[in-house]
Amino acid sequence: MPETTFLDSTELVLNMGPQHPSTHGVLRVILKLDGEKVMGTDCVIGYLHRGVEKIAEARTYTQFNPYVDRLDYVAAVSNGLGYCLAVEKLLNTEAPPRAQVVRVILTELNRIASHLLWLGTHALDIGAVTPVFYCFREREEILKIFEKYCGARLTTHAFRIGGLQYETYDGFEDEVKAFCDMFPPKVDEYEELLTQNRIWVKRLKDVGILNAEDCKRYGVTGPVLRAAGVDWDLRKAQPYSGYEKYDFLIPTRQNGDTYDRYMIRMEEMRQATRIIRQAVEGIPDGPIMAKVPKVIKPPVGEAYVSIEAPKGELGYYIVSDGSTQPYRVRVRPPSFVNLQALDRMVRGALIADVVAVIGTLDIVLGEVDR
Amino acid sequence: MPQLLKKIFLVDLFQGLWVTFRNQNPKRIYTEQYPAQRPAVAERFRGAPRLNLNPETGETLCMACNMCALACPENLIVVTSQRNEQTKKKELVTFTFDTSRCMFCGLCEEACPTDALELSQDFELATYTREGQIWDRKMLEEGPKPTRYKC
Amino acid sequence: MADEKPAPPKPAPPKAAPPPKPPAVMAATPWEDNLTRELTDRFGDGACEFRTYLGQNFILVKPDMVVGLIEYLKMGAGFDYLVDITAVDWPERAERFDLVYILYSFSRNARVRIKTQIAEGQRAASVVPVHPTANWLEREVFDMFGIGFTGHPDLRRILMPDEWQGHPLRKDYSILGQDQRWVEENLGVESGQ
Repeated sequence: MPETTFLDSTELVLNMGPQHPSTHGVLRVILKLDGEKVMGTDCVIGYLHRGVEKIAEARTYTQFNPYVDRLDYVAAVSNGLGYCLAVEKLLNTEAPPRAQVVRVILTELNRIASHLLWLGTHALDIGAVTPVFYCFREREEILKIFEKYCGARLTTHAFRIGGLQYETYDGFEDEVKAFCDMFPPKVDEYEELLTQNRIWVKRLKDVGILNAEDCKRYGVTGPVLRAAGVDWDLRKAQPYSGYEKYDFLIPTRQNGDTYDRYMIRMEEMRQATRIIRQAVEGIPDGPIMAKVPKVIKPPVGEAYVSIEAPKGELGYYIVSDGSTQPYRVRVRPPSFVNLQALDRMVRGALIADVVAVIGTLDIVLGEVDR
Repeated sequence: MPQLLKKIFLVDLFQGLWVTFRNQNPKRIYTEQYPAQRPAVAERFRGAPRLNLNPETGETLCMACNMCALACPENLIVVTSQRNEQTKKKELVTFTFDTSRCMFCGLCEEACPTDALELSQDFELATYTREGQIWDRKMLEEGPKPTRYKC
Repeated sequence: MADEKPAPPKPAPPKAAPPPKPPAVMAATPWEDNLTRELTDRFGDGACEFRTYLGQNFILVKPDMVVGLIEYLKMGAGFDYLVDITAVDWPERAERFDLVYILYSFSRNARVRIKTQIAEGQRAASVVPVHPTANWLEREVFDMFGIGFTGHPDLRRILMPDEWQGHPLRKDYSILGQDQRWVEENLGVESGQ
């Protein structure tokens, strides 16, 4: 058997360790390299596993609500919406119309905030250091609205089972409208910085291609699926919380590469602004909380409810045994399932493309590991 | 031909650079100079817990009903009380709140029937020891007193 | 009419303990439509039980039928997207785990759940040949519950460290439970709590 020497150029195993500026959290990717070309990857996750599903079995339904924000900590309001919708489904109630409209406004603001953070960090990983400051400046405006509404910027705990806890504050509509007027020119500013830029295009075009067939096989949802050409969004396919009343487009593109995902998320930010503008025009009057009992005890049963979170399909499968504590809460995280496709997307690419692909999948380790 | 000229003269890169130079205008500075400039915190901000006193009599508003301790997901509130023989009502003796494990979710504030426990706007909660994070009744009534720096 | 003295009251017989209430079950109702008829034709009567609860349909099958059913649903009925695989632990039952597969069909815009019951130590068949997305989902079920899958290309722990002993989401694993030996070896502290 030939002896391998130190200078032998067979496969090299490189560890892109949990502590890395570009892996968006504590993600460890073991790369098998041939020179700089990636032959295979192996993702090691679980560094942020906090046992949220186990905690759920020891808390009551209302007590578990704040834990849910900490899953996808970048977009906490969506997680809360999914959980509240799932428990409301088990209780067979619905939030009143005013609560639904305010929920839509906050969820779409949250989608813009999540995409802004995605854009800033993705550009930063690729090397464009400027957009991150501007994105965070706009994100600050959104977080100010969240703070004035529910008291916290990041782990908002904005929704309650059955509706909302807080009435909208004085000036809520004016501030949201001012944000909607201020924001679209900013998206144009980001596009001016990046979209035509030859470095950006070179780094992103034809990198990490995932076609529609592979997307469905790997169960990938969200902007990644839409970039591959599949026109599917849970807000249109199975509307929840009043989304059928709003008029908005679902952007899709054909190639399925990183550049397409970038364009789709920019367009989603514009469409989200459109939804917010429609929603804030007509907030109906009325109660903000449905008639749910103080102690929530759903009848024995189970339900699976999913929403279109900024990252993909976020689902909650809750099994109730009739007591005040859930028997099992399963969170179906979009980032966990999307991350499986990483191996498929970086075969034959360079290490720098691995960084671009991890960024474009938009993973949040809090959700992947729970 | 125009495409080739754009490519040679780096038009797209200059377009991006122009955005950056536009933002160098001092009117567009967004940074808050903390700690000289303290941030304007919203009224509903969920910060440090406070035990409120009745403004007229100076007595605590807490009636030791223990609803906050039951509502807390982390079980970090411990309330002890004793029964006052004259008025036959429960009176608060000690109230312990462990801010090191607190999520600042606000469920205790929502559960309190008398507005005694509320999450105030203080966000400077750092201490030098772990034990300093467990607040007793005195600390909860007075609030944290962070050092003010002269800048 | 004899003027009988009323008999002295006899001591009341000890009250029998009230019969134990049967555990509450899910109020599911039978589900029937074109899809269920198709499946009954294909797999025979009695192979699948079709139920629905709160508008969400689910199918109860035996563990050996799962892969065949999922394959048929993908090829013949258009359920081409496996949403989730998870398990629920009911320790009082003989077959303690409820393995749940959630499928979605883009063409029908409908979801369906498939539930089987697995006993402790019994291995389920992996659906990775049918849906590659099941790879990590089954690894997580194995990690959290200890259900083995035959035919899985790479079955090892995914969220917990590889050498961890114990399966955290089982009901007999306490919420403060930990693998003491692993914590001492790798973290150098006595307890992670």
